[in-house]
Amino acid sequence: MLKKTLSVWLCFSLCTIAFAQDSWLIKGVVLNANTLQPIDGASISRGNLFSISSDTGEFTLKNVKQGSYDLVVSSMGFTSKTITIQVDSKLKDVIIYLEESATNLDEIEVLGKSKKRERMETPVVSYNVSETFLEENRENSLMQTLSKIPGVSTINIGSGQSKPVIRGLGFNRVAVVQNGIKHEAQQWGNDHGLEIDQYGIENIQIIKGPASLVYGSDAIAGVVDIQPNAIPDIHSFSGDINLLGETNNDLLGVSAGVQARTHNWFYRGRLTYRDYGDYKVPTDQISYENYIFNLHDNNLRNTAGKEADASFSLGYINDNIQSETTFSNVNAKNGFFANAHGLEVRTSDIDYDSSNRDIDLPYHKVNHFKITNNITIFSEDHTFYFDLGYQNNLRAEHSEAVPHGYMPKPANTKERVFNKNTYALNVRDAFKPNNAHDIVLGVNMEFQDNNIGGWGFLIPEYNRFTFGAFAFDTFKINSDLHLLAGIRYDFGRVDTKAYYDWFPSTINNEDGSTSYVYLQRAQDKSLDFGNFSGSVGLSYILNHTTFKINVGKSFRMPLANELASDGVNYHMYRYEKGNLDLDPEASYQIDLDIDHTTSAFSIGVSPFVNFFENFIYLNPTSGYYETLQIYEYTQSKVFRIGGEIRASTTVFENLKLDASAEYVYSRQTSGAKEGFTIPFSPPLSGLLSARYQFKDLLFLSKPQLIADYRITASQEEIVPPEEVTDGYQLFNMSFLAELNLFKNNSPVEMRVKLNNVFNTKYFDHTSFYRLIDVPEAGRNLSLSLTIPL
Amino acid sequence: MRFLYPYKMQFTLKYYYFILSMLLIASCSSDDSIDKDEEKPTITVNYTDGFPQGCSVLTKGETYNFRAQVTDNKALASYSIDIHNNFDHHTHDDQVTECDLEEIKDAVNPFILMENYTIENGLTSYEINVSVTIPNDIDAGDYHCAYSVTDETGWQARTSIDIKITD
Repeated sequence: MLKKTLSVWLCFSLCTIAFAQDSWLIKGVVLNANTLQPIDGASISRGNLFSISSDTGEFTLKNVKQGSYDLVVSSMGFTSKTITIQVDSKLKDVIIYLEESATNLDEIEVLGKSKKRERMETPVVSYNVSETFLEENRENSLMQTLSKIPGVSTINIGSGQSKPVIRGLGFNRVAVVQNGIKHEAQQWGNDHGLEIDQYGIENIQIIKGPASLVYGSDAIAGVVDIQPNAIPDIHSFSGDINLLGETNNDLLGVSAGVQARTHNWFYRGRLTYRDYGDYKVPTDQISYENYIFNLHDNNLRNTAGKEADASFSLGYINDNIQSETTFSNVNAKNGFFANAHGLEVRTSDIDYDSSNRDIDLPYHKVNHFKITNNITIFSEDHTFYFDLGYQNNLRAEHSEAVPHGYMPKPANTKERVFNKNTYALNVRDAFKPNNAHDIVLGVNMEFQDNNIGGWGFLIPEYNRFTFGAFAFDTFKINSDLHLLAGIRYDFGRVDTKAYYDWFPSTINNEDGSTSYVYLQRAQDKSLDFGNFSGSVGLSYILNHTTFKINVGKSFRMPLANELASDGVNYHMYRYEKGNLDLDPEASYQIDLDIDHTTSAFSIGVSPFVNFFENFIYLNPTSGYYETLQIYEYTQSKVFRIGGEIRASTTVFENLKLDASAEYVYSRQTSGAKEGFTIPFSPPLSGLLSARYQFKDLLFLSKPQLIADYRITASQEEIVPPEEVTDGYQLFNMSFLAELNLFKNNSPVEMRVKLNNVFNTKYFDHTSFYRLIDVPEAGRNLSLSLTIPL
Repeated sequence: MRFLYPYKMQFTLKYYYFILSMLLIASCSSDDSIDKDEEKPTITVNYTDGFPQGCSVLTKGETYNFRAQVTDNKALASYSIDIHNNFDHHTHDDQVTECDLEEIKDAVNPFILMENYTIENGLTSYEINVSVTIPNDIDAGDYHCAYSVTDETGWQARTSIDIKITD
């Protein structure tokens, strides 16, 4: 091992030396002199030498002859600076500090393209979430944090778990991507939450529309793309510890991360631990159908949980190659509400109320292990990207053993076990054949191996292989007009495995005799799917206004449970029946986005129209199987229209106002539920937000007070078996400040948040516990500190 | 600068109203053609002939008529009746009364009844009447009787009753 490492290292160092002999390389980094943050898009020039700093502030100037140079470094909003450097064998990395200029313009620079400009130019309608946003809005789970973004909502399972919903579509219709690899778990499940550590994320790109072109199947409604973090600055070490405490569920959380870089090598590491008790709801009593559950101390019985996450990555970067290998593990144990599991009302001998922190039955344990490797190779005209990933998702659901129907009492509590391995490889080649075109060619390959265990059956074991190839071109018609067009083909094969009940069922035959049969629940089947998808988009920038239009077709392969399930889901009181004849879902969508941003105010609208040729959903029929209602996977045409609007303005220097609203209208236009909406449709909702920055006070700098007011309309558009949900108004407040506690050190960031200020009792239409009439969490005071190392 | 704001606010509001009205038009236009059934059926045993009532005691070997009244605004479709043991006290009924349960015990040969029926002709009101003979060779003890009914749309209503079976 040591030998190998040494030889790799030697090889790299030799290459570097070989490079250095005839011409020199100037490397450096541009930093904001006040904040020490990297400056993105600064220009560094001298005659023929020209470079633009990256989002980590880094730049390189190649093929520089020995001698003395005056470099002019400038960036919009900063005072330009000229520095003199001596290029010879003693040349070290250059660090340039720029002072913010007095007239702080919020405009983008003219020279070179910033990330912001790139986002304006690409016709893809996307939304970028920064680390600052994540920190200022941090909730109990990543998706709850992101739900403040118009068009993004969540399906929450208690206080610690949630899954993404984009414009009313969730489960397997939203792809979550981390480090270029699609996160693969049991996303189809009602009580499954996203297994990703929400700390240490710097940047998330959200696409609120069909994005199969690049992301393949499952990205039919949108993508949450957690982007790789920026590479640390040259010769740097940084780290932070984040502490979090919450009153509603008595949460204690700690997350610590470090990152460092020599010249070429870098590493990062993070450990996160969270432990929380039952969460409190603003009611003493829950009435579900004719049942009444009295709550002890407002605690939603047995919803405590804990989570321990670790990640480590090692990377190498030089002018030609960049590589990072990341290992991460997320481990969680979450309790489920004890009085009703799913829809099933349960009584138990377990003394749930003795402690609000213990996790009794029913609960689940989940462990998600992931290795990803991202390699970028920069050659003359081409840039090659390789993303490799291996993931193991192990989830076990435990509940008290109870006989059901013909099933006798099982021997243990292990009701369902899912063990899924996913292997993925993505390769992309980006090149510029001429100045006007940016072409990307790519392939995605993925293999899934899903195994099951436990005494309950919901989905069969299966293997799934998918392969997709795509090409797209961004054509610069002129500097303000860009066209993007792409096409993709996917092939997929699903092999489902047979499953038989472990107990016999009584069958009354027609001749009056009775037989006892181990019923078959899933069949051995091999199914192939093929699909073309594509999109065309246009973006036009007119002064301060950006117009985007995008038309696309996306698809989703049916899942194993949609194809082959055939079993009783006692918790939901239903018999679920798959359908082997399902076609891949195809969705057509037109997206518009108009954004007008000046220094004083900004407004934007992003409407969409969407048509599903064959939307797959679990349809409640009027029939029964062993006294349970039969729910069948069926397909219907679905029409959707909706969008988001947003506006923000700076009323006077220290007061900023933001407003946004989101709405989706959905209709099934064929099939058994024609005229109905689709399940989990989010209601019309608006968010008003005011932010006031005070003068620095004692050791508090940049103190800010934020008030959020959410108004959500009632949701009367429902489909069986849903219930109408009333509207609500919710008031949240937060106070942010930087504490200058240590001299010569970065400040400690403090965030105090008060959620649900008036302890309002309200229901979230898309929450898992909505089905049993459990209201959302009551008032919560949280304190979070980020301490730099 | 400050004089500009009323204008800007108006501009924003105009956009807001424009989009909102677009959405309203869209939501109203395709809605009215289909008469959606948004009502669940109902089910009850709370009438004179309803059977079993909460905490009823049934005797082995006897035959009983299980009766419940079901209604729907449009058309009833199917119903089911399920009798299973509650020896482990795993659940309780949704009736007003609370019954005295026996000690927790293991099932040896519990009574299981699971029957499904259809309601023909799209009736809006129907009385479930199922004749059940309690077998002699089953475990006596606490049982649970659950009725459920669906309408043609796929809405469902359920009710469950705690009962006891004795020798």
